[in-house]
Amino acid sequence: MRPHPRQRYTRRDFLQRSAASAIALPSLAAIVAACTKPGEENVTGQNLLTPRPDRPVTLPMEIDPIATDTPIEQDAELVLFNWDAYVWKPIVRRFIEKFADYNPSFTAVTTFNNMDEAVAKMQAGQIEADVFFPTIDVVPKLAISGLLQPLNHDLIPNMEENVWPQYQNPYYDQGWRYTVPYVVYTTGVAYRRDVVSDDEIFGMDNPWEILWDPRFENRAGVYDSYRDTIQTALLKRGITDLNTDRQEDLDIARDELLAMIDAVNPRATVNGAYKRLPQDEFDVHLAWSGDIAAGWGYVPEYTRDYYENLGYWFPEDRVGPIDNDCIAIPANAPHPRLAHEFINFMLGYKNAMDNFSWVGYQPPQNETDPGSLTTTEGLYSLQSGWAEPAEYVLPWMEAAVVRESDFDVGYRQAPLTAEVDDRWHDVWQQFKAGVNAST
Amino acid sequence: MSTLPPEKAVLAPRRSRRSERRATAVDSGVHYPRWFWPSFATPGILWLILFFLLPLYTVLSVAFGTVDPIFRSPLPVYQPWWWTTSHVAEGLGKATGLFRHVYARTFVYVFIASAICLVIGYAVAYYVARHAGRRKTLLLVLLISPFWISYLMRMLAWVNLLQQDGYVNRILTFLHVVPEPVGWLEGRPITVILGLVYGYIPYMILPLYGFLDRIEPNLLEAGRDLGGSPRSTFLRVTLPLSRPAILAGLVIVSLPMFGDYFTNTMLSGSPSTTMIGNLIDDSISSTGQGPEAAVLILILMIMLLIPIWYYLRSTARAAEAR
Repeated sequence: MRPHPRQRYTRRDFLQRSAASAIALPSLAAIVAACTKPGEENVTGQNLLTPRPDRPVTLPMEIDPIATDTPIEQDAELVLFNWDAYVWKPIVRRFIEKFADYNPSFTAVTTFNNMDEAVAKMQAGQIEADVFFPTIDVVPKLAISGLLQPLNHDLIPNMEENVWPQYQNPYYDQGWRYTVPYVVYTTGVAYRRDVVSDDEIFGMDNPWEILWDPRFENRAGVYDSYRDTIQTALLKRGITDLNTDRQEDLDIARDELLAMIDAVNPRATVNGAYKRLPQDEFDVHLAWSGDIAAGWGYVPEYTRDYYENLGYWFPEDRVGPIDNDCIAIPANAPHPRLAHEFINFMLGYKNAMDNFSWVGYQPPQNETDPGSLTTTEGLYSLQSGWAEPAEYVLPWMEAAVVRESDFDVGYRQAPLTAEVDDRWHDVWQQFKAGVNAST
Repeated sequence: MSTLPPEKAVLAPRRSRRSERRATAVDSGVHYPRWFWPSFATPGILWLILFFLLPLYTVLSVAFGTVDPIFRSPLPVYQPWWWTTSHVAEGLGKATGLFRHVYARTFVYVFIASAICLVIGYAVAYYVARHAGRRKTLLLVLLISPFWISYLMRMLAWVNLLQQDGYVNRILTFLHVVPEPVGWLEGRPITVILGLVYGYIPYMILPLYGFLDRIEPNLLEAGRDLGGSPRSTFLRVTLPLSRPAILAGLVIVSLPMFGDYFTNTMLSGSPSTTMIGNLIDDSISSTGQGPEAAVLILILMIMLLIPIWYYLRSTARAAEAR
């Protein structure tokens, strides 16, 4: 029997059709969404993504920082998302002890191999960390995408009290809305002093060329990092724009890197400077100052004789690559108040310097006297009964000490636009593929 | 004489061959519905769909897709009507241009490493199968024992052994094989090739052993009875009989070698020893290079179809011959 129009839907029909709608509507939405071609969203604020020292950016704040009166989380497990060996665990344990009243549990440190991997994990929501240690180039994109949370300055008083004035307003994050600086470093050349004398490398007209010297065939290394290695080729040829978008410059860098393969058969490493050069696997290696400062901790025998084999060159006029890394709090941090406390703790002078004694990377602390770093023993050395004493920076590696004034003359790496970044990657790919090397 | 019941016998003239087969099964007292035997393939088909076809389609979607405008991470495009061929064209261009050295290098490394695996693996498998006697089980366990430790750990161990002051150099200099320590880890092709051999040789030994162990001793005795020396018996009987196992072993070791990137990363790190796997690994871990990595993966897959096709053809012919 045909139902009356007002009774067209029986209760069963209604339930069936409701269920069908419940399934179909989201599916339809998904189909409609799927009909939008991925990657076609507008990219707003391209300039925000590519700040420069002469084009600083103030990153937008979509949300407010946590309130100052937010209580410290009880029984929290503080998770650090960091490079391997980039924070000294005893310092973290010291933090845990300081906040024992709040019973923070074991502190886990999750590591990553490169910043792209770290960002990908954060973007995919795979990481729920309280504290993250980003490089400058990813800070704008993380902040704009809402993956970082703004910092409450009231909870980090050590930033204004202890940290170099220039970092109160860094070009990549004006007003330090999302980040504080963690460490500063220069990029130069590490060498074995039993093979290359200080006088020899510092006396060279162009010491970058030592990485191309056939004398070091099979004994030369560069970082497995496209920006740092390509910039070395640029600097060798006197090109000082480390963010160049000129194809001619990149062609020169490519030719130089391919020439390096012919000359020395270099190896691209992540641990060549701080670990493998001290262990006599390399004679010369591109190096961040912090890596070679920590190198004494990896020599085969912990004696001054072995320490003295390590050397570091950086231009004497201090006109060379210089940069810093940051600390930030992810937007999804489970314990943001504790994270603020941790950042403030790490910016404390003593904690920062003790961490420096093991990590090798210098914190930008006002109280630090650069002149004393090569004469003062750090905590790690003091505690290492098995090792002969080592200064924060070994005395003959004065070049590895970073001064605030170095930033006035140094060259800074900055984020590249996508198109330029692709061209840099092209150069890097040709080098890594050894396109000119014989089989 | 028909054994069909009378009510079904009237349908007999219109029966199809399939119905007859079913009827025969019924006759023999066992009835299998049509879907019964094919259903056994269901787990395998599901496995292939979930863990091969879907991932492969995702790789295709990445290769023909785009990248996130901010993070530059790969964005797969699952709708073929929006696929863009720019990355594929670029990847193909590089494969035949800039990267041809890398492909050639990879082929040479894999060829040499597979050949060494075959020579060593055959000798070891032959000994275990024919001459190990009561120690056969022990030797097999020892052969499999490297699998108990991860490849990463085994390579890390080799890094230590091959260092300038490692045990390998100490022994070689002590025995006066070399006058001074060799820089094994200084970006040498020989280290990468030997690393590949070390990493994959168990995969060669096991299939060879399995096959050699099954060769009928009667056949070998017949060869000798017909006047063959041990050498000619090996060359004319054992070796031809073990051809399928050799092919299987070569396919099993060479396929993963083509995609291997870890051995080179750990034991060399030099651009002059870069293999295809390293190119893929580098592209995957570089911003904006995801689609290119997918293209390289597809090219590698297509290249690997050739040895697989040859193997399948050879085994099919061998089966026909039997």
